[in-house]
Amino acid sequence: MYLIKKSDVLNIAKALSAAYQVYGPVVEKVSGQTFFEKVDDISEITLAAPIPAAPPKSVVFPQAERIMSYRYAGGNTPVEIKPDYAETPKALFGLRSCDLTGIQCLDRFFLGQEFVDDVYRHHRKKMFIVTNTCVVPFKYCFCVCTDSGPCADEGYDLNLTDIGDNFFVEAGSAQGEALCKKLNLENASEQHRSEKNACVDKSITLFEEFSTESKAWISRVMNRVTTGFAKEDVWEYVGDQCFECGACSFVCPSCSCFNIADASGGNGSCNRLRTWDSCSYEGYSRMAGGHNPRKPVEDRRNKRFFCKLSYSQSKKYLRPGCVGCGRCNWVCPGDIGLPNVVKYIRRETTSR
Amino acid sequence: MNGIKIVTIPEVATIEEIRDEIRDVKTFYLSLDNKEIDKNFKIKSGQFIMCTVFGAGEFAVSLPPSPENDRFHLTVRKVGSVTNALHELKPGGKLGIRGPFGNGFPFEEIKGKNIIYVAGGIGLIPLRSSIVHVLQHKKEFGRVLMLHGARTPDDLMYKDNLKEWQSFDGFETYITVDVAAPGWTGEVGFVHTLFDKANLPIENTVAFVCGPPVMFNTVIGELMKRGLSDDCIISTLERHMKCGVGKCQHCAIGRTLVCTDGPVYTYRQIKTLGEQI
Amino acid sequence: MNQKPGVCTFCGTGCGHFMNVAGSTVERVFPSLNHPVSQGRLCVRGWNIHELLNTAQTINRPFIKKDGRLSEASYDAAVSLLVERLRGISPAAIGFLASPRSTNEEQFLLMKLARAVFKTNNISLASEAGHRGSLNVLHGGTGMAGMLGSIQEICQAEFILVAGSDITKQNPIIGSEIHKAAQAGAKVVTIDSRRTQMAKLSTTFLHITPGALKLAVAALAKYIFQEGLIDADFIKTATKGFDAFSAVLGKLSESEISARTGIARDEFKAVAEALSRSRTAMVFFSSGISGLDEDTIGYLYNLLAMTGKIGKPGCGVNPVAGLNNLQGGYDMGCAPDLLSGFQPLADQAAVKKFSGAWGVELNTAAGAPIYDLLSKSPSSLKALVVVDHDEGFIRAAEALGKLEFVAYIGAYQNRFMDHADVVLPVGRYIEADGTFTNTDRRVQLAPKKAEPAHAVLPGWKLYTLIAEKAGVKWNYGSPSDIMDEVARLTPAYAGISYKKLASAFGIQWPCNEKHPDGTAHFDIAMAGGSITFARVSGTFDMPETSADFPYRLMIGKAQDFWHKNNLMRKTFIPMREYNATLLDYPEGYVEIAPETAKALQVRNQWQVKVVSPYGELPLAVKISEDVKSDTAYAPYFAQDMIAPLLAGHPEIVQKGEDATIPIRIEKV
Repeated sequence: MYLIKKSDVLNIAKALSAAYQVYGPVVEKVSGQTFFEKVDDISEITLAAPIPAAPPKSVVFPQAERIMSYRYAGGNTPVEIKPDYAETPKALFGLRSCDLTGIQCLDRFFLGQEFVDDVYRHHRKKMFIVTNTCVVPFKYCFCVCTDSGPCADEGYDLNLTDIGDNFFVEAGSAQGEALCKKLNLENASEQHRSEKNACVDKSITLFEEFSTESKAWISRVMNRVTTGFAKEDVWEYVGDQCFECGACSFVCPSCSCFNIADASGGNGSCNRLRTWDSCSYEGYSRMAGGHNPRKPVEDRRNKRFFCKLSYSQSKKYLRPGCVGCGRCNWVCPGDIGLPNVVKYIRRETTSR
Repeated sequence: MNGIKIVTIPEVATIEEIRDEIRDVKTFYLSLDNKEIDKNFKIKSGQFIMCTVFGAGEFAVSLPPSPENDRFHLTVRKVGSVTNALHELKPGGKLGIRGPFGNGFPFEEIKGKNIIYVAGGIGLIPLRSSIVHVLQHKKEFGRVLMLHGARTPDDLMYKDNLKEWQSFDGFETYITVDVAAPGWTGEVGFVHTLFDKANLPIENTVAFVCGPPVMFNTVIGELMKRGLSDDCIISTLERHMKCGVGKCQHCAIGRTLVCTDGPVYTYRQIKTLGEQI
Repeated sequence: MNQKPGVCTFCGTGCGHFMNVAGSTVERVFPSLNHPVSQGRLCVRGWNIHELLNTAQTINRPFIKKDGRLSEASYDAAVSLLVERLRGISPAAIGFLASPRSTNEEQFLLMKLARAVFKTNNISLASEAGHRGSLNVLHGGTGMAGMLGSIQEICQAEFILVAGSDITKQNPIIGSEIHKAAQAGAKVVTIDSRRTQMAKLSTTFLHITPGALKLAVAALAKYIFQEGLIDADFIKTATKGFDAFSAVLGKLSESEISARTGIARDEFKAVAEALSRSRTAMVFFSSGISGLDEDTIGYLYNLLAMTGKIGKPGCGVNPVAGLNNLQGGYDMGCAPDLLSGFQPLADQAAVKKFSGAWGVELNTAAGAPIYDLLSKSPSSLKALVVVDHDEGFIRAAEALGKLEFVAYIGAYQNRFMDHADVVLPVGRYIEADGTFTNTDRRVQLAPKKAEPAHAVLPGWKLYTLIAEKAGVKWNYGSPSDIMDEVARLTPAYAGISYKKLASAFGIQWPCNEKHPDGTAHFDIAMAGGSITFARVSGTFDMPETSADFPYRLMIGKAQDFWHKNNLMRKTFIPMREYNATLLDYPEGYVEIAPETAKALQVRNQWQVKVVSPYGELPLAVKISEDVKSDTAYAPYFAQDMIAPLLAGHPEIVQKGEDATIPIRIEKV
């Protein structure tokens, strides 16, 4: 446990920038929108900025990335194939707790199954994570319902909590501890720890009503989804409202579906691209030749919520797939962000 | 027994020979360019690979060769842009291979049982591997039957194999077409209409069923009516796949992934998946 | 910070996005959360726009056709050849086909190039029929040639009518806004001959017989009139011409209405009442190549005028453009008879203003829309300059082949290049500053985000170069200078500048001294206190079915394919999604109801023959619950394939969305 003065907190990021490419929250001026961005000028970081519009998952799992390139001139000529990914040390500075949980889900999914995803592993390998406790929740947040905030409790190297004039700094790893030592941070006392706990407790009381209301319901709805007790008509109501835009998957910190396409660059050269995909798209499960085992849109919606809210899927992540960030609610052209679907399932809503 | 598995970056293979099977379906005989890997590339029957057609993309395809003493090959129908590009290739052309992936057909577990293969059209492709393998070990099984139906005589798959199998001692083969053509002297009718004639065994029996959804559902219904239990009916599912290793999620059905948990399932399992075949 | 703001360039909604750009490659796209139109939403196209922008299938250098083949050339050589060839042809035989996807600055310069440099008024957008019809009605009635309401005000509307538009597919974010209004309690009524997603999300769905849209709208107007539901005060104080309209309504027979629309009188009455009782109301209809005909739009406009739902917040007659800068194209004067801002070429004062500003005497002999010129045989057209067009237009391929000279200008490769004698590349949308005007008149600046991947000029520089080769020196230092000229010459744009646009999310025109921050919705004061009812016909011709031809074939509604096929084909996920049906049905399809399929004994993807009094064509069957049992539907994207049916009937193509043909279907 350490302390760092508020005015000095970016020194941590500066120190990291010596060995890592630093990413952090930056506010775009005209729109006021927060992005979790590659930062070259550390002073651009606004630690207190609202939760970033897009989750930092794109750092470890980009929207579009080349994973391989090849060249083949046809016929009996040789094929040159080269993998196209590299380890770059990255530091995520000022990550919110929900987004850390998202990365933990991705870790368990990409690295913890039968096959290890090599591309993901390269992104993830050399990484330093500094989380930032949400001392004030944001409008759509409901991490208190999904056990993923407002304060991270594991998986970080350093965790920062704004306790007034200072940030309370917790080291969660040896490399976190080492950095605190290197920066000669002042030791914190038990008094400071209780101040931090008080800040977290206060934050929890500040969540919007919808999220505290959902708290008990998330686990009950998980039960209904897992056992198939969510009504057909409710799924149909949800499906009718799906605009098939893919946004919910793209902004979800734990969604990991991807598409693979070979993009021709002319002259026999080709890039194999891996891009985000969404189970809400009709073409997602359509096979060549047109047969689609998952045709009606409600089937596809159902699939997404099964993925987020069922026990069998939770086994993959060792927790629910939803991390309570609320972003799917911001971006949905229908009215079927996850908290709303929970509401529809519990109220058995089938029409307006 | 476990050989090499090519997971992320494809290995280059050369097309040695191409045979026309039926309309829009060709068989490609391949060898991996890296001889060391070629030697250690072992498959199980019922598995699949991811095949890259350079410049066009990658697709999942089931493996028809037997794991033992069979030339490595793929049989592919042209249905989309990638398989269309594949059909344009000539011998000497190059492909990329990843795999083999998937669980494969049970082999040890079914020893001593009667085996029924029911294949509709190109549904024979994924079953070929198992058929050849079981025939190589025919003595270890009870009755072995195959019923193959196709739309017309021209649509019958693997005609050379069929001829061979028809004269294979103790292999009971039945072949039928939906629509006869001039010169056709064999059976006419859907494949399940041959069940009585074949005097299907039911006790201590396993059925492998593969074919288009309509045929599949009818055949399953007929088999179960005769008393075959749903866990003795085995099929292999096809899904849209991008990675083959459980990551892209395109092939997810309910709680299972066809690429890593499948593609071989018993009908009992398929019934609980909650999706169309 | 590497987040560059921009405007999505697919449909006419004008959603805001941010992009991460590295060099010439777009790494990521993300919606703009505080954008007033899209508010954090994008559709499948918008979320995947980087796939298009990163394609390698761009045109990377100029080409000149030699011995029937395109060979690489310098800009200098290619532009010189273009100028030389056009110079050798009389102005009346030269045509310019403008693109509804170009920026306002490009549109304006192309217009200037046509009129001031090559002295021709043959300039048009391909979507001549649909959106022009909307603008004619609105301009004629109110003096404002654009959407009367505002997307931002949809949430204020208590009643929303969606007429014959698959809006959640064509302009998904506008569809979303309507859906959200419905969730918040607005009454949403969809009138359509197919059960669209919007129909499912509506409070009331009037599932009409195909071809009966105009009659259904007229029926609503009739019941409003007959039941005394009109806003008499508004009609009296703020409108002209109601008597002529009510006279037409008086002649409509009730029994005919029900019989021909398939909708019972009580259903119409309930909707009429809801519209009348609401304090605010809007109507949405698609406007573009397959939009509605002018007469139907006239009825929609009159419907809102008679209930007093024009000129107030949360109200308006709202045509929805399917293409990102279709509205801007008209605003910039890419029409034979219009200068920028809907100023008629026939208006001598306007002509004098332009002539003075440009220092040339303008040719005032009326031009004609390009498609009209091409479809005449023999065509008076000899040379055509085409900008960024989908090859769907190649339905006129034969006519193109007869031209002496064709030039193609665009960013992406397409089949138009095969017809061209000269090909001139322009940059992708991210390679230059430019503005776009969306369907609710919002002029938005999309600043330059990337360096050109190849040595390709942005459009405005190319047009400047063409003018220069033709001996006219234009002194534009940047696109901002062009917008300044637009503002000087165009009253609706008078107050717009790059400086103003850079600090906001766009400005809705008219923007002038009176409205320095733009105008959210039309106000009666803008029309001098009085609007005029549209003149409408009292005829409701619908092709009748018979024993020989028992089904009504609808054509159209798949507007999302139209004009974007060429772009979609260069992507992966949007192509997969938007061409889904095209991939499943490469030879086109005819959608029929399950009952029809049963009667014909056909299944999905089976081949049938569609026979009309004018011709026949083979199509695959697609069974759908979304069409009625006496109805069949063939999408527009099969244009090449349905051409044999349409050839003898150009009026059906003109009618677009609402066209029907009586047919029979034969099993093959």
